Amino acid sequence: MPADLNNDSTPSRPTLGSLLLKSQRRTFLGVDKQKAIRFFFASNSSAAVIVLVLIMLFLLREGVDFLPTYRHELETYQHAGLEFCDLVEQPLAEHQQLCSKLRRVLSASLNTITYQARSRRDAAYQQMRDVEEETRLQRAVLTNALAEVPPAALEKLAQLRQELLTATQLAVSRLAVPPSLTPSEGWQLKRDLALLSPESAEPPLVLELLSAAYIRVDTEAHASFKPLVEAVEAFEAAPDELHTLLNTLKKHARETKALVTDFHSSGKGHGRKDPIDFASRITPLTSRIPELSGRIEAYAQRAQTAAASLPPQAGTPQATKMLSEMRAMLPGHLTEMRAAAGKLPQWSYEKRVSYFKVVLAFFFGDAWITNSSWQDFFGFIPLLVGSVLIAVLAVLIATPLSIIAAIYTNQFASVREQDFIKPVIEFIQAIPSVVLGFIGISVLGDVIKDVSHVSWLQWLPGFPIQERLNMFNAACLLALMAVPTMFSLAEDALNNVPRAYIDASDALGATKLQTVFRVIVPSARSGISAAVLLGLGRVIGETMVVLLVAGNRIAIPDFRSGLGVVFQPAHTLTGIIAQELGEVSRGSAHWQALFMVGIVLFVISLLVNWCARAFVRRFELSKS
Amino acid sequence: MPALQSPPPPPVVQVREMDFCYGSSIALEGINLAVERYRITALIGASGCGKSTLLRCINRMNDRVPGARVTKGEILVKGKNIHDDDVDLTQLRKQVGMVFQKSSPFPKTIYENVAYGQRTHGVKSKDILDDAVERALRHAALWEELKDRLDQNALGLSGGQQQRLCIARAIATRPDVLLMDEPCSALDPIATLKIEELMHQLAREFTVIIVTHNMQQAVRVSDYTAFLHLGKLVEFAETDALFSNPRQKLTESYLRGTFS
Ligand SMILES: Nc1ncnc2c1ncn2[C@@H]1O[C@H](COP(=O)(O)OP(=O)(O)O)[C@@H](O)[C@H]1O
Ligand SMILES: [Mg+2]
Repeated sequence: MPADLNNDSTPSRPTLGSLLLKSQRRTFLGVDKQKAIRFFFASNSSAAVIVLVLIMLFLLREGVDFLPTYRHELETYQHAGLEFCDLVEQPLAEHQQLCSKLRRVLSASLNTITYQARSRRDAAYQQMRDVEEETRLQRAVLTNALAEVPPAALEKLAQLRQELLTATQLAVSRLAVPPSLTPSEGWQLKRDLALLSPESAEPPLVLELLSAAYIRVDTEAHASFKPLVEAVEAFEAAPDELHTLLNTLKKHARETKALVTDFHSSGKGHGRKDPIDFASRITPLTSRIPELSGRIEAYAQRAQTAAASLPPQAGTPQATKMLSEMRAMLPGHLTEMRAAAGKLPQWSYEKRVSYFKVVLAFFFGDAWITNSSWQDFFGFIPLLVGSVLIAVLAVLIATPLSIIAAIYTNQFASVREQDFIKPVIEFIQAIPSVVLGFIGISVLGDVIKDVSHVSWLQWLPGFPIQERLNMFNAACLLALMAVPTMFSLAEDALNNVPRAYIDASDALGATKLQTVFRVIVPSARSGISAAVLLGLGRVIGETMVVLLVAGNRIAIPDFRSGLGVVFQPAHTLTGIIAQELGEVSRGSAHWQALFMVGIVLFVISLLVNWCARAFVRRFELSKS
Repeated sequence: MPALQSPPPPPVVQVREMDFCYGSSIALEGINLAVERYRITALIGASGCGKSTLLRCINRMNDRVPGARVTKGEILVKGKNIHDDDVDLTQLRKQVGMVFQKSSPFPKTIYENVAYGQRTHGVKSKDILDDAVERALRHAALWEELKDRLDQNALGLSGGQQQRLCIARAIATRPDVLLMDEPCSALDPIATLKIEELMHQLAREFTVIIVTHNMQQAVRVSDYTAFLHLGKLVEFAETDALFSNPRQKLTESYLRGTFS
C-alpha cells in the first residue's frame, strides 16, 4: 500500500493524537500494520530466546531421567552382591601396583649382572637382522625358487645362491663390529654371517654361543639375587587363593545381575518390583564370609612374610628406593584389606539407595567407568578436573599474551603495525580446531616431550614427561584459540578509555608509558577482566582440540607430582560427550549420564558468561 | 589601573609572531601575547577562532596531533623557548598545568587523583604526597568537603567538585602557569560561581590563562583580555579598558553582539 508507506515515512514525527487516529485505519484480521511490524521484529528477537529455552528443556528432558536410571543401576549393583565383591576387590587392586613395583625392582637388579651379556647378544642379533634386511631381495628370490613345485633347474639355483652370497658378503663387509664384542668374536661373526642363507635352519654359531652365555649369566643373576627373586614370587602368589574364591563369588553375583537385566529387557515393566528373590541369591555370598575373611587374613600374612623376606638392598640405588617405597605402602594396604574383611558381616544387600546418594555418586564420584562387564560407574569428578585444569591453564597462558599484545597494538604500534597485527590475530580464529588438533599431535607433542628430556631443564616439575598427549599440550592449543577473543575484547576495552583521561595525564607531564600503565590499563581493568572470562568461556566449551590432544585418560590426575600434574593426560566434559555419545544406545544410563554432563557444561558456560557481563556492567556504571 | 611607576615585571608567557598550522590549514597567524605574572588573562572570541589552539600551544599539547606545528615565531615560558631542543616536555608541563573543558578525574580515589602529578614526577615519600594533596585541595577549596573521603572514587563527586578536583590535580605539582580551557562551560551557575571565586584565590600564586566564551565571566575574573578572530589576535588589553573602550571596530562589534 504505497499510500500508507508514504504516510509512515514522513520525517516529521506523528503526534500521539494523529497516531490514535491512524490506528483506526485498515486492519487485517484485526491487526494493523504498525502492530504487524512490531510483532515481526519482536518475534525475530525472541527466536533466540526461544531456541535457548528449547535447548535447555531438551537437555533437561534427556538428563533428568538419569537419576532414577542410575539409582536403579546402583541398586542392582547392591542387590546382586557386586558391591559385596568390590568390598574386597577394590582394596585388592593395590596388590597389582605393589607387584609391578617389585617386578621393576627385580629387573633393575638382575640387569646389573646381565646387562653386558644381553647387550652383546642383542648387538650380534641386530647385525644379523641388518644383513638379512640388506639382502632381503635375493633371499626372497631364492626362497621362491626353492619352493617351486617342479623344482627349478640346478644351474639356476646355483646362480641364485651365488648372487645371494655376493650380496651377503657385500653387506657383511659394510658391517661395523659393535664395540661390546671382542675382535675374535667380531671376526667369527663376520665369517658366520657371510654364509647366512635361508637354507640353513640354525642361526650362526657365534649367536648361539652368545645366547647361551646370556642364559648362563641370567641364571647366575637369579641365583645371586635368590632371596629377592623368591620373595617377589611369594608376594605375587600371596593372593592366589583369595582370587580363586573371589572369582567364584563374582561369577555368582554377575549371574544375579544378568537375571535382573534380562527381566527388564524382556519388557516386563519398569517400576514393578523385581520378582527375583535377592535374599536367596545373596546367601551363597554371605554364607562364605568366614571363608573369605580367612583367606584375606591368610593373604595378609603371606604378603607380610614375603615382604619381610625381601632383602634390605636391591641391585641399584633407585631399585632400593623403590623397594622401600613399596615397603612403606604395604602396611596401609594390609590394614585396608583387614578393614574390608571387617566390613563384610555388616554389609546388607537391602539398604536403600537414596537419591541423595545417587547425586553424590554422580557429582563427587571419582570413577567414570563404562562398557564394563562388571559394573558401570558415572562419576563426574575426573572429567570436571580435566576440563577445569585444562581451561584454567589455557587462560593462564593466553592472558598475558593477549593482553600484552592488545596494549602494544592499541598504544604503541604504528598504524601500519596495527593493520598487520590485528588481522593476523583475528585470523587465528579461522583455523579449524581439528587442524590445531593435528598440530598438537604431530608437532607440539613431540616438541614438548623433547624439551622435557633436555638435561638442564630437569628441575622443572614433571620433567621428563612420558606422554606426548597431555593437558599442557591441549592447554597451549586452547590458549591459541582463546587469544583472538581475549585480544579483541581487551583491545576494545583499551579503546573505550575516554580520551579525556589520556589528555589529562599528558598535561600533567606523564610519559607515554606512565599514561598507559597508570591510567589507561587501570581504567580498562573491568573490560580486560571480562575479556579473560569470555576467553575462559571460549575454552571450556571447546571440544575438538581436547578430544584429540588431551590424552583421554579417564582418571583424576595425580596431584602428588605438584605442578607437573599438567603433563598428565586427562579427559574432559566436552571430550567425553563427543567421544561416547555416538556409541551408546539411546536412553541407556550411559546416554543419560552424557546428557547430565552436557547440562553441567551448559550451566558452567552460562555462569562464566554471566560473570563476564557483570564485570562489564560494573565497568559501564563506574564510567557514567 | 595598576600604577605605572615601577618597570613592569617580565612576562611569564610570551608569544612572539607565532603562526600555527594544522597540516596545511593555518589556525593561528602572527600572534603576539605577553602574559603577566599573577594575573588572570582571558582569551575570548567566536567559536573556532583558535582560542583552544593557542592555549594548547603553551604546554605543547598539540605535539600529539599529527601535522600540527608552529611554523613561525616562538613561545617563551619564563624566558625559555619551549621548542628548544633541550626542553623536556615533562618539565614544561610541570611548569604549565592545564584544566580541560570536560572535567576528567581518573577513575581512582580522590587522593590518587591529586597525587598523580607528583607520582609521575617520581615522588614516592608518603609525607610529601600527603602534604601536596592537602595543599592542593585547600587551594581548590575542597579540603573541608573531602578530607574525610580521600579514599573514595573521584567519579562519585558532583560535576563542580570534579572540576575543582581537576584544578587541584593540576596545581598539586605547583606549576607557574595554569591554563584553563572553558572550565565552567559544563557546570551549573552555582558551581561556576564557586570556580570563579576560586580563580581570584589562585591568581595569588599562579598565573592563569583562561579561555571562555562567556564575556561576563571574562569581565568578572580576568585582569587582561585578548580577543581573537579567525586565527588573529585582534586586541589585547586590560579587561576594563577592552570592554569599556575597545580600540578595534571588530572588537566592538563582537562585544555588542552585532557580529556576522
Ligand atoms: N586537531 C585538529 N586538526 C585540525 N584542525 C583543527 C584541530 N583542532 C582544531 N582545528 C581547527 O582549528 C581552528 C581553531 O580551533 P579551536 O582552537 O578549537 O577553536 P576555539 O577553541 O576557539 O573554538 C578551527 O577551525 C578548527 O577547525
Ligand atoms: Mg575551544
